[in-house]
Amino acid sequence: MRVLLPWAIPALALALVPLFIQSPYALHIFILLFIAVALGESWNVLGGFAGQYSVGHAAWYGLGAYGAFILLQRKGIPPWFGVWAAVAIAVIIALAVGWITFRLRGPYFVLASIAVAEIIRLAALNWKILTNGAEGILGSDLPPLQIAGTMITDWNSKTPYYYLGLLMAVFCVAVNFAVKRSKLGYYLQAIREDQDAAHSLGIALTFYKNTALGISAACTALTGSFAAFYVSFIEPQGVFGIDVSIQMVLTCIIGGIGTVTGPLLGAVVLVLLSEWLRASLAQAHLLVYGVLVIAVILLMPDGFVGFIAQRLRRKAAER
Amino acid sequence: MAVLLQSIFSGVLIGGVYALIGIGLTLIFGVMRVINFAQGELVMIGMYCTFFLFKLAGIDPFLSVVLTMPALFLLGAALQSTLINRVLDALPQNQILLTIGIGLVLSNTAMLAFTSDYRILSTTYSSSSVALGSVRLSTPLLYCFLITSAITGALYWFLARTDTGHAIRATAQDRDAAQLMGVNVRNMGVLAFGLGSALAGAAGALIAPTYYIFPQVGGAFTLKAFVVVVLGGMGSVVGATLGGVLIGMSESLAAVYIGSGMKELCVYVIFLLVLLLKPSGLLGKSRT
Amino acid sequence: MILALLLAVSVRIGIINSVTGAEAPIGETLSNGYKLALEDLKKAGIEVEVISEDDTGKPQIALSALEKLVTRDNVTGIVGPYSSSSANPTVKAAEKNKVPILIPTAAKEELTRMSYKYVFRIASPANGLASAGLDATLALGPAKKLAVVYENTDFGTSTAKTAKEYAAKNGLQLVADEAYSKGSPDYRSTLTQVKSAEPDVVFMVSYVADAILLMRQARELALSPKAFIGGGAGFSQPQFVAERDISEGILASTHWTKDSGWPGAKEFAERYQKRFNVDPPYHSACAYESLRIMAECAAKANNDRDKTRACLRDGNWDGIMGPVKFVDYDGFQNQNKHPVLVTQVQQGKVVTVYPKENAVAKPIYPFKWK
Repeated sequence: MRVLLPWAIPALALALVPLFIQSPYALHIFILLFIAVALGESWNVLGGFAGQYSVGHAAWYGLGAYGAFILLQRKGIPPWFGVWAAVAIAVIIALAVGWITFRLRGPYFVLASIAVAEIIRLAALNWKILTNGAEGILGSDLPPLQIAGTMITDWNSKTPYYYLGLLMAVFCVAVNFAVKRSKLGYYLQAIREDQDAAHSLGIALTFYKNTALGISAACTALTGSFAAFYVSFIEPQGVFGIDVSIQMVLTCIIGGIGTVTGPLLGAVVLVLLSEWLRASLAQAHLLVYGVLVIAVILLMPDGFVGFIAQRLRRKAAER
Repeated sequence: MAVLLQSIFSGVLIGGVYALIGIGLTLIFGVMRVINFAQGELVMIGMYCTFFLFKLAGIDPFLSVVLTMPALFLLGAALQSTLINRVLDALPQNQILLTIGIGLVLSNTAMLAFTSDYRILSTTYSSSSVALGSVRLSTPLLYCFLITSAITGALYWFLARTDTGHAIRATAQDRDAAQLMGVNVRNMGVLAFGLGSALAGAAGALIAPTYYIFPQVGGAFTLKAFVVVVLGGMGSVVGATLGGVLIGMSESLAAVYIGSGMKELCVYVIFLLVLLLKPSGLLGKSRT
Repeated sequence: MILALLLAVSVRIGIINSVTGAEAPIGETLSNGYKLALEDLKKAGIEVEVISEDDTGKPQIALSALEKLVTRDNVTGIVGPYSSSSANPTVKAAEKNKVPILIPTAAKEELTRMSYKYVFRIASPANGLASAGLDATLALGPAKKLAVVYENTDFGTSTAKTAKEYAAKNGLQLVADEAYSKGSPDYRSTLTQVKSAEPDVVFMVSYVADAILLMRQARELALSPKAFIGGGAGFSQPQFVAERDISEGILASTHWTKDSGWPGAKEFAERYQKRFNVDPPYHSACAYESLRIMAECAAKANNDRDKTRACLRDGNWDGIMGPVKFVDYDGFQNQNKHPVLVTQVQQGKVVTVYPKENAVAKPIYPFKWK
């Protein structure tokens, strides 16, 4: 429990924010932050813990988004049920993809993950009857959320999205925590460090990799659904595009891959940077991402978090 | 029948360009085992060089290749010695991320420098064609194909007949053994990356008259190049040539017989199938 | 005139535009139109504080931009965005926030078909582009077979859809329906398909870069229908027209031309030419007039959003875009019944050839490659 305390305080502080800050723009930035954190933490389960770098995670993000949206628009199923169905679909497809692609090693796996995401994107683009193709789907108004007759929210302000986003980010961080400390976490670490050695020790490679992928895809799809309802409009390039995948990877690499706090830090840095730079550099904020990634890979392969941890260790050792 | 023939011929011609980009990528991979995610961005730089040489100095794109290639060679060599060389022993995933980062820097610097306006390079022969029976061959693409063949031929000759070429192939085959034999493998790395970049630049110069130029054009070329290289076999120059032509043809035929919007999908499906069924590609050596 | 009745008033208007990104060149023509409008508004005593946001061509960013303009910058009204895909989520958010929004050029029909009270559009919706172009062609000579080639984006798909509907209603046979993914270097297969179907008329919907590539390759392949019609966007841009080898004789539907005969149109074109060294496409005129109308209404309503909306609803104008009045018709709401013109490139110049009352030249028909 002591371990959870340093997390509980900021989480509580964040929960109180909407009571003091009313500006929709500020809340919007927080929500973007929560989405980025959730996505980074989701990717971390597969990329950081299991060492399988997927540059095609946008596939699960988009499946979550489209799944929940289509269910709402076509069948009138409210998001709080539709989301779970979308997540289930994403996980099933992810497991199928994992089953066939996990035999590939290192860079080949990366390429395969890109190909899968592109295939799904192009399928969404062309399957007009289901997805409306390039025109995208404009979300209709969400039905008010009622529990036992009392209305909780009618979704007309940013506050419900803020709390949901916060919950989602906390959930993904918690999942990372849980995985890291569990037996699964140890197996994944073994696979990451040396796949063949792990295999010779009797660890079922594909099974554990798939477990990591399943968890990762589920969290990603969940975030995708949330983001879709928040923005209220989805189209194939926006949710399945390779930039979404790359941003997820960058969040983790820059922050610190394989740690729980790394993706969090990475998300904060990247979201704040892009908003700040949007005025001056417009789209070229990606330039800064590029420079950061190069710097991190060359100078601090464990990301900012690893760098800071190293510094602290050195300081402690010097005493 | 006419449609089928036209499709095949057009596909082969454009496949030549894909092949050129793929050859650069496969050369780099062969020698350094690095998958260069910035290959498309190098093509983009080649395109911009060609555009400005044409607009400012009036040099025809097919002639300015002789200027663009050395320029890109130097850029590639610089990138290799300063950045890529430092990660040759790192995890392949990290190498990929480094090249992704380089790609982002290149494309966004181009965006800041040149704006994201689409540039069009118009020559007098930009829409001309030559008739071959019922088939019409695009004049610029024909020149492109011929020059690509010449460059590829020169490259084969270089690799097969010169000492440096042998050294590169030795390094690609077995880095440590080559080093023991006295090959300066570090220089080979620089040379390979420089050559790969020069080839990308050439591809950019050759395709500039028939396409349009904008900072993000690289991404699609990089992905296409991967497909070409994996199909042909990582590290095989002949494989990449073959792969390029095959992909060009498949794309063309898919556009006609399945649907224009589906042609990329078909290419990626082929890609996935090759990765799963025969990852070493058509001509590559089996490697884990 | 309304202008004469206004005292020097200050208004806050938000502009969402594609300043960077793939559509930046067209975004620039809109920016130029906005610039000229600001100067004229100042001369008329209306000080406009413009807050500009760049949607970089992405719908999500357009939505963020609107949120910011509406909640943080407290604008009275919004003009823009440019593309149909950006306008999609943006108009919904504008309606939700009860802020009047005036769309200058986006063609997707649904934008003014959702029974929204705060969303206005000055240009004709997509069906106008298709029907004007096809009407013009059918008036020139009989045609039986129609081929439609379009990019599979919001704009391309919705405009092509209206062309197909037109064909069904007017007895044209649809012999080719080719949706392409934009940004490809090679459309030859698509065009070969179209050529083998031997169409009389080819209707195309593309932005500039693809328009140029498509026409180049069409010429290579010797695709020669009786008429090529471009549905606005790329085919009306000066960049396309400048490609003399491939633009000669191409018909294009457009929302505005300098020789349309509308009050001030010619002068606007000359002024634009002198300032920016290039001919204005319809986007500049739409942008100019949209900002002018929105600012005037905001001034009249003293920056009150609902009163601005009422002013837009009740007003009518007669400027460089001709008579403008936002009405409900045929399932559209707050839509200006804008007449679509058809132009043709003749000797490297764009001339209006349809409808008769705006035509300044006789159309060249049938089409022949140079």
